[in-house]
Amino acid sequence: MALTGLEIYKQLPKKNCGECGVPTCLAFAMALAAGKAALDTCPYVTDAARENLESASAPPIKAIKFGNGSVMGDETVMYRHDKTFYHETTIIIQVSDALTDDEVSAKLAEINGLEFDRVGLHYSVEGVAVVNESGDAARFAKVAAAVAAGTEKSLLLISNNPEALKAAVAPLAARKPLIGEANADNYEAVVNIGKENSVPVILKADGLDALSDLVEKAVALGYKEFVLDPGTKGTAQQLADLTQLRRLSIKKKFRTFGYPVIVFTNHENPLDEIMEASVYVCKYASAIVLKTSAKAHLLPLMALKQNLYTDPQKPIQVEEKLYAIGEVTEDSPLYITTNFSLTYYSVEGEVESTKIPSYIIPVNTEGTSVLTAYAAGKYEPELIWETMQKLGVPDILKHKNVIIPGYVAVVTAKLKEISGWNVIVGPRESSGIVAFAKTLK
Amino acid sequence: MLIFGERINGMYTDIGDALKAKDPKPLQFWATKQEEGGAHYLDLNSGPAIPKEERAEAYQWMVNVVQEVSELPLLLDSTNYDAIEAGLKLCKRQAIINSVDATPEKMERVFKMAADYNAGVVGLTMDKKGIPLDNDLRVAFAMELVAAADEYGLPMEDLYIDPLILPVNVAQEHALQVLEALRKIKQLADPAPRTVLGLTNVSQKSPTSICNLLNRTYLAMAIGAGLDAAIMNANDDDLVDVAATTQILLGRSIYADSYLKVFRAR
Repeated sequence: MALTGLEIYKQLPKKNCGECGVPTCLAFAMALAAGKAALDTCPYVTDAARENLESASAPPIKAIKFGNGSVMGDETVMYRHDKTFYHETTIIIQVSDALTDDEVSAKLAEINGLEFDRVGLHYSVEGVAVVNESGDAARFAKVAAAVAAGTEKSLLLISNNPEALKAAVAPLAARKPLIGEANADNYEAVVNIGKENSVPVILKADGLDALSDLVEKAVALGYKEFVLDPGTKGTAQQLADLTQLRRLSIKKKFRTFGYPVIVFTNHENPLDEIMEASVYVCKYASAIVLKTSAKAHLLPLMALKQNLYTDPQKPIQVEEKLYAIGEVTEDSPLYITTNFSLTYYSVEGEVESTKIPSYIIPVNTEGTSVLTAYAAGKYEPELIWETMQKLGVPDILKHKNVIIPGYVAVVTAKLKEISGWNVIVGPRESSGIVAFAKTLK
Repeated sequence: MLIFGERINGMYTDIGDALKAKDPKPLQFWATKQEEGGAHYLDLNSGPAIPKEERAEAYQWMVNVVQEVSELPLLLDSTNYDAIEAGLKLCKRQAIINSVDATPEKMERVFKMAADYNAGVVGLTMDKKGIPLDNDLRVAFAMELVAAADEYGLPMEDLYIDPLILPVNVAQEHALQVLEALRKIKQLADPAPRTVLGLTNVSQKSPTSICNLLNRTYLAMAIGAGLDAAIMNANDDDLVDVAATTQILLGRSIYADSYLKVFRAR
């Protein structure tokens, strides 16, 4: 990201001495912005200014990695339609060390069981947070060890007691847990634990002013692996704070807030809690720590997250397979379309309303529509026949009739020739399918 | 893309006569007509019709009579800053001071005034020595204006930099330099300052039969290079159509078949 002339000018000494070979600081700033001069030719530029200028060209939000492949931050836009959101929100379920050993292992078993397969995709929860609610350092370390032994997931260790954190982190450092929380009172000790173990640290303060103070103090300790926690509060205020954090780091290059954000849910009722978490998934939280671990609560949240982090520039595709609409038999008609989801679902909706049980094959055209695919040579008769054979259609159906989209009627002869099937040209628009289906005997 | 309607200017006889006779009708006629054409702001310029000592009062009168019939915000177009200041006191919506060049004493006066009255500023990329040919010099003046705006706390969105287009029949080489300057000015700060042109200048004294074509073509080129606003003929429907169409082709407005109508209705 190139710096603007004004940003550079503000960091210069404004002496207009001309020693850099350019008459004024303003003109020098412009030469720097245009890449026609080097900052080193100014003898009066301060170290702070140099660092500001260097860091201004870094990405607006730092990427923080922890645990088992969890990546947070490294985002560049406020709205996904401007480009895309890159790193999915890390979903973490909390386990209190005030639970009994049996309760801890039951909770852990439930968390490990949060695996979902839906529409060809697999979702699972990324992390487990061990929270020091017992107030007992030894108990915290013991539960942390038990959780670490019971799951492969990324770990989060939460205590405001540096001694407890230290004891729990040391044996688990290789798992690279995210630790916290560092607050205004304990930040020195907690940040140092993070530094010694090379693990990222959560900085927590209530409100943005306090958070910005804390980040500046923590950075001064010579460490930069941070995740920000703007405190637990009502959803409306949290939404406002999350928006400010993202906006300031991206739009204003406010380095102090250039870190990913973690939030802890506030609601006790799990249904409310999931609604709350849904807001945070949509609005910039890089990680969310939840209390509920019920499957029914997590599935909609995981689906929302997956949906939101889909790249909007890439066409959405459906899986290439034989779809059965209704109570199909070996006599049911077979429709061919493409795997572009808009195309497929238009066809599916119409086929469904014919009330005739039918098969549909969305041929893999890399997510392009019928005409786009045809124009790009991705909808050739050979490919259609190959796909029909691959999906075992000749064994499943008793008849040998296949219906193709009206816009690609031109492939009829060739498809007939290579397959030996009877090729029926359907209507051009899927809206014609209902009327067309009545003409099928 | 903002259209600054240029027609209420004492250089036109009907407006010059109206100013002398204190007849509000021609001003109000053009205020309404330009708004209907698609203008987002109205430029007010007394021209030389009014003697210097009466300018302040004339600007107050212009602001008042125009605001009687139009809700559009105004550009106060004069080199007489006392007259502009008198007018600013009466503006109901955020006005724009048109204009200041990059001379330090003028910038001090105008940016201070803009801060006091929460007004925008049109800044010209020139100083006492006149209009530079080279785009780099234009941009250097633009940077002076950007730095001054920053110093006086004027938001970049309220600074309109005018890289000064000249008539193509006598100063043909400037047209390309201005396009280059527009591109570079948008890189000076983040958020970027806005840009504006006195568009009609490009076709001054060219035959009437090609003036409109020159204006339209240059408007499309300039918007492509980063132009945000133009002081222009808001009643040249084809020209306004060009402005509307650029917004669609640059993805700034969402396409609809009726986008020409939508652009004017905003």
